[in-house]
Amino acid sequence: MEFIVQTNNLTKRFGKHTAVSAINLKIRKGEVYGFLGPNGAGKSTTIRMLLGLMKPTYGSIRIFNEDLNKNRIKILKQVGSLVENPSYYPHLTAYENLEALRKILGAPKSRIEEVLAIVRLSDVANKKVKSFSLGMKQRLGIAAALLHSPKLLILDEPTNGLDPNGIIEMRNLIRRLPKEYDMTVLISSHILSEIDQIATSVGVISKGSLIFQGPIEEMRKKANPKIRITVNEPQLAYQSLLANGIQVDSQNQHLYLSEQTDNEVAKAVKCLIKNDFSVYRVEEEKQSLEDIFLQMTKEGNLQ
Amino acid sequence: MIGKLLQADFIKIKRKGFWLLSFLGAFGVVGLQIVNYSLRYDWLIQQSDDKWLYYLYNVHSFTAMALVLGIVILTSLIASVEDETNAWKQLIALPVSKMTVYLSKFTVLATLLFISSTLLAIFTFSYGLFLDLGEPVPYIEILKFSFYPYCASLPILAFHLWIATVSRNQGIPITFGVIGCIATYLAYVLPDWVIWKWPTLMNDWNDPLMNVWLGIGFGILLYFIGMFDFIRRDVK
Amino acid sequence: MLFSIMRSEWFKLQKSKVSSIIMLGPALGFIMGYLNNEPLQAQQINGWFIMFMYNSLVYGLLFLPLMTGVLAGTICRYEHQAGGWKQLLSMPVTRNKVFIAKYLILILLVLLIQFLYFSAMFVAGILKGIPDPFPLEIALKSILGGWIATFPLLALQLWMSIMWKSFAAPFTVNVIFTLPSIMAVNSETFGPIYPWAQPFLMMHNFTDNMDTLFYVPAEQVLTIVGGSFLLFFIGGLIYFRRKELF
Repeated sequence: MEFIVQTNNLTKRFGKHTAVSAINLKIRKGEVYGFLGPNGAGKSTTIRMLLGLMKPTYGSIRIFNEDLNKNRIKILKQVGSLVENPSYYPHLTAYENLEALRKILGAPKSRIEEVLAIVRLSDVANKKVKSFSLGMKQRLGIAAALLHSPKLLILDEPTNGLDPNGIIEMRNLIRRLPKEYDMTVLISSHILSEIDQIATSVGVISKGSLIFQGPIEEMRKKANPKIRITVNEPQLAYQSLLANGIQVDSQNQHLYLSEQTDNEVAKAVKCLIKNDFSVYRVEEEKQSLEDIFLQMTKEGNLQ
Repeated sequence: MIGKLLQADFIKIKRKGFWLLSFLGAFGVVGLQIVNYSLRYDWLIQQSDDKWLYYLYNVHSFTAMALVLGIVILTSLIASVEDETNAWKQLIALPVSKMTVYLSKFTVLATLLFISSTLLAIFTFSYGLFLDLGEPVPYIEILKFSFYPYCASLPILAFHLWIATVSRNQGIPITFGVIGCIATYLAYVLPDWVIWKWPTLMNDWNDPLMNVWLGIGFGILLYFIGMFDFIRRDVK
Repeated sequence: MLFSIMRSEWFKLQKSKVSSIIMLGPALGFIMGYLNNEPLQAQQINGWFIMFMYNSLVYGLLFLPLMTGVLAGTICRYEHQAGGWKQLLSMPVTRNKVFIAKYLILILLVLLIQFLYFSAMFVAGILKGIPDPFPLEIALKSILGGWIATFPLLALQLWMSIMWKSFAAPFTVNVIFTLPSIMAVNSETFGPIYPWAQPFLMMHNFTDNMDTLFYVPAEQVLTIVGGSFLLFFIGGLIYFRRKELF
């Protein structure tokens, strides 16, 4: 399997404080990798190291199978990035901002119009960025990251400050990139639901440590589904089920089955009906990814 | 690579007053003499037999300070263009070496100051002609008084580019600039090793060329010290 | 309320290493006073006079006017970062009071620098063994005179520092106006009417006339210092009241 990004015990200390601790990221080609963690967990520091903005205290980084320390420039020729708040030159127009970057990247001039069209800023190309809204500045940052048609796109909290429409738009754009442009995307966020719908893989970081990494389905599996039953007399029903040898919990006027096989559920329902309880609902209660994420980061904090 | 970065840097300094300042610096130095000579022409013209040289000395009395303060302002301004939205992180994440980024900034400023020095020569010459200071026109001296201070101030440029690019608070380089300006003003009492004295072309040997070579030599040295420190640091 | 804004400003300033900026003035006074090679002893005139005079050539003419820009820049810097103005002005304060509070802090800082500067010269003089009695009255005149002369300069620099985010831009304005005073003080016509020359003129005790309140005529203080103060202060205040904040 080909890894586009691979880090080996990547560590960064600021004085005595360890911001990132022995992280082993593995990002495969064509993935949209969601990099999750609460604010201050070390996401930005990791991303800054991936871009060579900070030097790791310890550990190594390989991108496109080359050592970042040795081939930084070669690697960065194929990397587009947006780190935290968008950077721009307020006194220049959107076009001039991209032109200043294009000169360095050596992309064809026509590319400026293309990326402006992708992020729908063509109409304001000749306006000074000073007057842009936060969302427009963010989109300009994405345009800048796409300028040289990179093979790897690194986006640090790209939906920060965007309105719901902007977030949806950004999502659709990011989802398109791997297929249409053969890109691999690393996108960081502190909100799971933002990544849930676009990421194929996730890495969860908490207090500087990577506490989970794998396909998003695997993370979903960690969700512990339960069967919840609502009846007219929960207390009596609870005792009745126990008396019939069915493992059950009672919480907040609901009954929760410990065994979730079809057979067990059918058995429990049959038993309730036989004993003349009114069964209002039998439903599967899934733990949301958000809950799993919270639970994971909490566990991470305990360590 | 450096060519592309320079092109990008010249786009970035648009509309920020860099070109205006380069013009103003040179014009201001000669402008003060325009005021001076307009007010007391009769007195000034009798002060020396070599009217041209006396005029050049008058112009020169402001050149060093204007140069030092010009360097302070331009270096701080070029750093604040990147500082404003922390565009350093965007710039350094491009496929460029930090060394080239630093060299490009230095080259832009050295170019602007060179243009300013050239303008100084032109303005000095033009107003001198207007004053009718007699023949022969000391072309070589005019050029010396315009470009020697430029070369002698290169260490100050290197020093200020260094502290302006690594300071998060531009108040620090500006404060150093105030101290430097005072050192230049007090040059006549300071020892020769103080780099802020060099643009005044004063030294114990009475040889202005000495300051030019010192300026270029120490300019290169300080440039490399600043550059290596810039490379060593994590991006702001 | 004004007082609480000022206390908040003072707190923010302390976090901006303003103390090292303040110490520059006294450091300059001490170094120049101590290293001065002019014979300060056994002369016709009081040795302290000579020290004051020499030092004011640098301190009053260049240092003080240029420092007004650094101080004003410092008191506005943290507001320009990450939307500080927005946050400050969305609190229950008026723009007038914010402007006045910042301005008052600035003039208090300069007064402090003035006192420290003369104290540093006093220490330098004692160490050098100037035998003459310290002319307290002359020193006070210079301290207060130089202080008052910075009022208009501080108002202009506050205005410029509110207007521009970068430190360099307001400083440029300061430099453009300060450098010509080196020439202006040599002119009997221009010196007295040039606002940036006033800190020097009001601190430079080179005069026989010791009876007046300051070293310059009272009309000059009122018209030039007072007039330019009103112009810059009102201009800055009007600008600040209308400024759109992002």
